[in-house]
Amino acid sequence: MQFTVTDQGDGIAVVHIAGRLNMVTAPRLREVVAASVAAGQNRVAVDLSDVDFIDFSGLGALIGGLKATRQAGGDLRIAAPNEQVRLVLQLINMERVLTAYPAASSAFHG
Amino acid sequence: MVSSSTHTLTLISPPDDVNTVHALLETVWADAAHVSPTDRFSFETALIELASNVLRHADTGCGVTCGLRLEVSEDRIDGRLNDTGAMVTELLLATDRPVDLSVDADVALAGVLATREMPDVLCESGRGMALIHALVDELDYVRDNDVNHWHIVRTLRS
Repeated sequence: MQFTVTDQGDGIAVVHIAGRLNMVTAPRLREVVAASVAAGQNRVAVDLSDVDFIDFSGLGALIGGLKATRQAGGDLRIAAPNEQVRLVLQLINMERVLTAYPAASSAFHG
Repeated sequence: MVSSSTHTLTLISPPDDVNTVHALLETVWADAAHVSPTDRFSFETALIELASNVLRHADTGCGVTCGLRLEVSEDRIDGRLNDTGAMVTELLLATDRPVDLSVDADVALAGVLATREMPDVLCESGRGMALIHALVDELDYVRDNDVNHWHIVRTLRS
């Protein structure tokens, strides 16, 4: 599992994740989002294009990040989820809360 | 005609974790070309959720040993997970669902397993059992001789 954070300016951070987002790696996502918010980047786009699998620990981390960014006046958006991620989002009616954007780079633009 | 395949794994945590289960599943799917992506994703998500809950909540400080047996046949995927962890009441409490511990644990669990309601959308935990229910056709639990026996089955849709 790899996390890469890119500062896009204007308070926007893109977090690219590669691998599985599960109970092993979810705590790292919480840390990354918390660090971004602390650094003033309270608009976080999570690039899921290279995430193979997500479980509820991973979703919990996304929801925690959503709360953290919104409490700071920002937002968290996800981009390019695969079929398994979309399936889980649908199951828990999370699609209306975590809307999927085609690309992380444009999640806060356009 | 699709022949059945059986895969087994002994998981000792620590150091094993859910990634060990993912690794087994990769070999399972390699032998099961007839299983559609939706069936594969659904079963894998349910099994990983079950294993995650067991590893997270059944460990009383001495680690957990799990036996996992997966069988893929022409029309279903059958998974059996046995663990030496704590009694399942810990897992029930972890669902964030009110459980009456004054009643027999199996009865209490039956009540939880029969419930398919999802917690609030923004709740960060507590969806485990409801999620598993939504992804498989059978979910059974029995505790026997200090061992938890979990059984999940998904009937293949396509």
